[in-house]
Amino acid sequence: MISAEVRPGRAAALARVPAFWVVAALLLAGAVRMTLITARFATAYPIATVTAVLLFALLAVPFWWVVRELDFLEREPIELLVLAFAWGALVATSVSIPAGTAGENLIAKLGSPQLAAGWGAALAGPAVEEIAKTLGVVVIVLIARPQINSVLDGVVYGAMVGLGFQIAEDIVFAVGAVALAGQGDQIQPVIATFLLRGFVSGVWSHTLFGALAGAGIGYLVVRRDRRPARRIGVAVLAWLGAWASHALWNSPLLIDGLGNGALALLAVLVLKGLPPLLLILWLVRRAHDREAEYYVGHLATLRDPELITESEMRVLGSGSARASARRLAGESAGRAGRHAVRRLQRAQARLAVELSRASSSERHTTCEHIRVQRRVLRGLGHPEAIAGPRSWRHTASTIVTTVVAIAVLWVALSALGGA
Amino acid sequence: MARITGRELKDLVGTFGVVATLAGLAFGLPAVDRAFSAERPLRSGIPVDVGAGVTVVPPSGATLDVTGTRPGDTMGSALFRLGAVQYRIAVRPFDGNLDTAATRLRQRITGTPGYQVTGSQLAVGTIGGLDGLQGGYTAPGRGGRYAVFVGDGLTIEVIISGNDLDLGRTLPQIEASTRTLRVDGTAR
Repeated sequence: MISAEVRPGRAAALARVPAFWVVAALLLAGAVRMTLITARFATAYPIATVTAVLLFALLAVPFWWVVRELDFLEREPIELLVLAFAWGALVATSVSIPAGTAGENLIAKLGSPQLAAGWGAALAGPAVEEIAKTLGVVVIVLIARPQINSVLDGVVYGAMVGLGFQIAEDIVFAVGAVALAGQGDQIQPVIATFLLRGFVSGVWSHTLFGALAGAGIGYLVVRRDRRPARRIGVAVLAWLGAWASHALWNSPLLIDGLGNGALALLAVLVLKGLPPLLLILWLVRRAHDREAEYYVGHLATLRDPELITESEMRVLGSGSARASARRLAGESAGRAGRHAVRRLQRAQARLAVELSRASSSERHTTCEHIRVQRRVLRGLGHPEAIAGPRSWRHTASTIVTTVVAIAVLWVALSALGGA
Repeated sequence: MARITGRELKDLVGTFGVVATLAGLAFGLPAVDRAFSAERPLRSGIPVDVGAGVTVVPPSGATLDVTGTRPGDTMGSALFRLGAVQYRIAVRPFDGNLDTAATRLRQRITGTPGYQVTGSQLAVGTIGGLDGLQGGYTAPGRGGRYAVFVGDGLTIEVIISGNDLDLGRTLPQIEASTRTLRVDGTAR
């Protein structure tokens, strides 16, 4: 179910929400804390710190793009995405540093130092970090409730909080590795950390765990047709799933079980990381399909092929079909055709969201924008944004990309001493 | 000034709930941690596991600080306290030689603002046959010794810190303890 009310959350509107200023104060406090940490690093290891910030900032770009594209139909406002990212990078990290240390110390004190050495990172870290990150999605709900209108929105905001956390943590780990190496202001430990935490374990890290916990918050907020106990239960279950995935990833399980080669390391990564990855992919797919069905349903009521045809409705609900339609337009009408289809799809998605609102002053403008793109496409001899048949070139490109990704992973594992 | 609506007030209260939870994590949990003692008594003459198969017999009268002790399978650390003196041992995988290990440890010490290495290094050894190097350092309000040993694919770093008076009293005991460092390799 998708809640009916959708309202654009512009920065000025956020500033009128009293709760926003409490969140802003938290972000400021987190920014001061993280700036002090970074400044200390930058004083001792300036080149390594700048390299770490640049490398991991670059790594954040594709992650950001993928997370943002998850919800093509009802895109989240950029200011809320930035807020979610900043929460992860500034607030959740600032809180997790002392709390995680205290948690591990308590395990050592109440259990034993051996238990803390083996399981401290698996028990204390996930508990503290997943709470701090999930609160980022909670504050988005508190300051911009109308923006959370599907489970997918919770996934997007949760993943964005996780991404912010992941990037900040990676930078701290990278410069920490430089300090530990004791070789001065060198960038080799930064590169090694980038390979390990960026390429090897980047896919199944905080972004994934955050997405899972965010899905639970999304369900809690949106599924008002369900009993409160069930909604709370699902949110708790999702958080526990995020915690368990994180704990499994940090756990010493399988560390020595499969040997020391690159293949063994790859197997461990897959065994520990794949289950949560598949779970969240399934969840995203399900939430995406549900949302697509809802919005495309609104477009179907228009019965205006000038705005959207039957074939385009089928295309709009699927990410791969949208990409296929853009490729087909590119093949038949060149770059201009591809761009026109992209603009048409975006406008159609915007119109679907506007139709779902009780009232929208921008509907007329959006319809006009669609008609303009339709005229452009007609002029290019490609009047309809339909998906093309699967070409051998696309299949070959997918295979090559997969092979390159595995090769990069293999090289990274080997460079880190796996082979 | 615009009035706060009931919904906004509810959200504001919710946000303060978030603040309270964060405060609980950032300040409450460390406060609970501090409420429990970190020091554990040690039996005299019994070796303590540092990690990665390395053991040491702690000085008589020392206590083990469990917050600085993490005996893992491939790396680890142990922190002992003799009054105000800290005696810290860290073990990590290492594939270089003793000079490289000593250079790296010295760089890490001098990388901390205000820390300076003093004097020259001396060769030291353990009863179990590990070769090492040791030296001294000073820091604002305290000073200390460092030592580093290499063997069996590991580097064992020892850092002793305290004020001059306490160090003068405890160093002989700690140096005797350092000589009991042993790698049995069983943990790896």
